[in-house]
Amino acid sequence: MKPRVLVAMSGGVDSSVAAALLCEQGYDVVGVAMRLAPEPTTPIAKRRGTCCSHDDFEDARRVAERIDFPFYVVDLRTDFAARVVDNFVSEYLGGRTPNPCVMCNREIKFDRLWSRARALQADYVATGHYARIEQGTDGRFHLLRAIDASKDQSYFLFTLGQDNLARTIFPLGAMTKTEVRARARALGLATADKPESQEICFVPDGDYASFVERRSDPGQLRPGSIIDADGNRLADHAGVHRFTVGQRRGLGIASADRLYVREIRAESGEIVAGRREELDSAGLIANRVSLVDDSIASAGELSVEVKIRYRHRAIPATIRVDADARAEIRFVSDGPAVTPGQACVFYRGEEVLGGGFIERAIAT
Amino acid sequence: MSIYLDNNAGAPLRVEAKTAISRMLADSAGNPSSIHRSGQRSRRMLESARAHVAAIVDAEPRQMIFTSGGTESNNLAIFGAITAASRRRKIISSEIEHSSILAPLAELERRGFEVVRIAPDSDGRVDPARVLAALDGETALVTLGLANSEVGTIQDLAPLARRCKKSGAFFHVDAAQAVGRIPVDVAALGCDLMTVSGHKLGAPAGIGTLYVRDSANFAPTMFGGPHEGGMRAGTPNLLGAVAFGAVAEAAMNIMDAEAARIDSFVASLFTRLRETIPGLLLNGPLAGRLPNTLNLTFPGVLGESMLIALDLEGVEVSMGSACAAGAVEPSHVLRAMNRSASDARSSLRISLGWNNTADEIDAVAKIIPAVWRRVADAEPLAQVIAL
Repeated sequence: MKPRVLVAMSGGVDSSVAAALLCEQGYDVVGVAMRLAPEPTTPIAKRRGTCCSHDDFEDARRVAERIDFPFYVVDLRTDFAARVVDNFVSEYLGGRTPNPCVMCNREIKFDRLWSRARALQADYVATGHYARIEQGTDGRFHLLRAIDASKDQSYFLFTLGQDNLARTIFPLGAMTKTEVRARARALGLATADKPESQEICFVPDGDYASFVERRSDPGQLRPGSIIDADGNRLADHAGVHRFTVGQRRGLGIASADRLYVREIRAESGEIVAGRREELDSAGLIANRVSLVDDSIASAGELSVEVKIRYRHRAIPATIRVDADARAEIRFVSDGPAVTPGQACVFYRGEEVLGGGFIERAIAT
Repeated sequence: MSIYLDNNAGAPLRVEAKTAISRMLADSAGNPSSIHRSGQRSRRMLESARAHVAAIVDAEPRQMIFTSGGTESNNLAIFGAITAASRRRKIISSEIEHSSILAPLAELERRGFEVVRIAPDSDGRVDPARVLAALDGETALVTLGLANSEVGTIQDLAPLARRCKKSGAFFHVDAAQAVGRIPVDVAALGCDLMTVSGHKLGAPAGIGTLYVRDSANFAPTMFGGPHEGGMRAGTPNLLGAVAFGAVAEAAMNIMDAEAARIDSFVASLFTRLRETIPGLLLNGPLAGRLPNTLNLTFPGVLGESMLIALDLEGVEVSMGSACAAGAVEPSHVLRAMNRSASDARSSLRISLGWNNTADEIDAVAKIIPAVWRRVADAEPLAQVIAL
């Protein structure tokens, strides 16, 4: 019997081609589109290009019909709200800047969806992520960056462990985006020239602050003051959820220096502003650290490269992982602004070793 | 080859419908309103179909208005009745009606009408006494389903007609799920209006009728040519009507035997599922239900997951209603029957029809418990976030 694979389809070109490739490779493909967003945030007419819209589901359905595999829309809204959206909101309220894509991968695509895959007798879950999985001669699985460095999404996948990788397929890891689009065109897929989705899928208008406000009680918001390093009050603000460390715009302060958000103190509602050079850090503390292969934790201090935001370049650092899934990361030379809540992912060359969530910066 | 158990959504085309349609495709006919002989031939076919459809509910052919289906019939009944009863602003219905009743009523509520929706009991029965208690001189319309599409509960509507008539309210019965499955008699019910749908019986979708007892007191909602006695403008769907007539004739002839056959299938399937699935719940009453409908709560699983897993095994059932995106929504009927949101999400509807065989039921009685065990093990409801 052919191995069955459940392919998570967004209606975009990547997951469409992923499904098509798996069919060609002889898998028994079952496509699913996940209904995730808790609220329809924009009128249907404007929803084109964002995730989870009716149009996107129809695009995925057309691909399934064209290639001829079964396709279903599954409703994971309650799971997504509880495991991703609530976390997103509480992180912002706590003065941190969450990365919901990491959480969605960890909680929904490679956990919740895996339960569904087993219920449907699937052997694998596949997505259109740009990353690679390789199995070593010792049987251990390795998570690697995509061949197309400009599309590499391994950063979002650091939470995957050996169990996850053993049952996951990323068909696009060795392809460039150009090749994927060409393949989609050759297959006659309607999604071949669809634009990229950029924003967080459940906040298609990109207005995170309003989203957080809609989904919290007014009493949970933390308004307060913007202060300088000496504690002088520079301005007032409507809530710490409106800020992210490293942010420059929207501070509403006239100053000779360009001011950036240096620190968010959620308890007191204080936003500490500073000049660019004051944002530099020597390293960071990460929590909820997971390793792709736990066996490396015993190695003590490791020399790696760390990526502290998706669009940042990985920089050399040493890491030490505690028993309680916390890690101290020291940059080899001073690093850029560290944004609590974001993922810090450990690389060694092409390989993802693991990562965690940034708790705080270590000052220079 | 799949086993189709979703007849309440729509039955597969009956052979009689296929034969009637093929005959018409071979001999393309004219407009039934035309004077020439082709038109006359078409008119004869239309009227013959009307007679067959009328016979199945014991109505006069002239009382049957062809429409595009159950939804249009329900809309025509509601909007026709409130137009005719111009000054009255109250409508009585129930919480467990089909969306083609609930949505028009919600729209009328937005336009300022008072809509009373009677809650059913835990078996899906609407108490006629509660309907009558709400009835008054302001009531334009009482509209209720005869048999519920999701759980199959048959309503006791006989006590309503006399009081509706006395207070001057229209009495509409949505019999889309009942006709062809149980005996339906417009005179015995005493209703003014009744919806009948073609594709639930094995005609193609796109044809239905509204029975109108006394058209002098009823107002059309679509205007144009003088078709259908002035009650529904537009050249009738002759192809659909002829298929509907053929299907109605066939269903009428075999109804008792067919009901007994389906009843025994459902009884045996339910017995076997109850033996193999601990905690399985039947939604709706044990007696006083459509013979073909089984709505079951499967303990510890998401209905959505079961539905997809069954489909991949070639067994086609349904759950609640599909949203525009194609995801399933939990049944509003089960919620109205006081089932928890969790139970509603764990429920599936199995609805049999004319084409099911004993072998299919035998196969399904094995497949469903196996799928349930696998889904319950792989994706236990307890691990899914609290609903």
